[in-house]
Amino acid sequence: MKQRFATCLSALTVMLMLAAAVHAQTFQPSGSTTISVTVAAEASLYIEDSTTTLSGGPLFSDYTGTTRFTYKIRTSQGSGTGSITSLVTADFSPAGGPSVSNPPTAGDALTYTCSVSSPATACSGTQTASTTAAQPVASFGANARSSRNGNSGQVNWTLTNDPLYATGSYSATVTFTVSAT
Amino acid sequence: MPEVIFFSRENPALVVALLILATCFQALADIGTATQTLNVVLIPAGKVSIPSGFSLTTTGTTFNAYRGTLRVSYRFRTAQGGGGSISLRAGSDFLPSGGPSIASGALVYSCGPAGLGVPCAGPQTVSTTLSTAVVAIQESTCTGGGGSCSAVDPATVELQFTLDNSPEYETGIYSSSLVFTVSTL
Repeated sequence: MKQRFATCLSALTVMLMLAAAVHAQTFQPSGSTTISVTVAAEASLYIEDSTTTLSGGPLFSDYTGTTRFTYKIRTSQGSGTGSITSLVTADFSPAGGPSVSNPPTAGDALTYTCSVSSPATACSGTQTASTTAAQPVASFGANARSSRNGNSGQVNWTLTNDPLYATGSYSATVTFTVSAT
Repeated sequence: MPEVIFFSRENPALVVALLILATCFQALADIGTATQTLNVVLIPAGKVSIPSGFSLTTTGTTFNAYRGTLRVSYRFRTAQGGGGSISLRAGSDFLPSGGPSIASGALVYSCGPAGLGVPCAGPQTVSTTLSTAVVAIQESTCTGGGGSCSAVDPATVELQFTLDNSPEYETGIYSSSLVFTVSTL
């Protein structure tokens, strides 16, 4: 009798523990939760001028023009960096006019200078545009953060006005890239 | 004291336990009978269950907003002429400083369909000082069982949170607490 009773109680204990485990959700008159977010390095760029027209003066003075842009950036605290670069992804066409990769006269070039607002640092001096390697426009250090609506910058272009260019309209594509770590 | 869901028709283990208990004591003593009248008064009640934490995430690297979803589970019993509600308030602003700020209105949420009651209407801006609506419970209603009560038990509502992603935030991990409060009339 006693052994049977002990066996019954043991089985009862196991079933009660199982019953408690079936419903683990706890309901209370109030509750709280922790909300978290990881803010990481990010960067974006907006080119204000979809088309930049280079204009030349009389007597074969160089063609000039300006491309404006707005950047947003957040680099990491400590050792973060960032950059804006330019690359001619499509050379001037049609043929017969200026060319970045193969100009009719050695020394003909598409060059630019940079002007940017803080926290960016502008490229140094005059840069020569390239179809093969990205060229600097701006750089950023650690914990660089633009304003909520972005900060401004511009590239000032100069294109050699070679008399060898045939008359006509010529277009090239320049791609700007912004990055942040 | 937390209400641990124990006595439920969905808990067959308990039924088995009771049967075993009856068998154990039947083996020991003679059986006598006595009767007593039991009375119970059910008052309005409401309780909520919240996950311990959740995260907001963004897509891409071009300052898209941070988003996240939180499912709130709740049980209610309201009286005639009464009602109830669930509201939320931020226990603190995001910490550490230097990142997003709840006080500046950066964190908002909207409510999905509610299993019982009326969910909040339109986007709500989370506040550290004022409670904002999550669900409003009507009079004479309850959770579970169907009919005048909800079909499901517990009822749930999903909150979709959106946090502004400004370049002005310093990189890092930020957290805050959201406190959900239940009231019944």
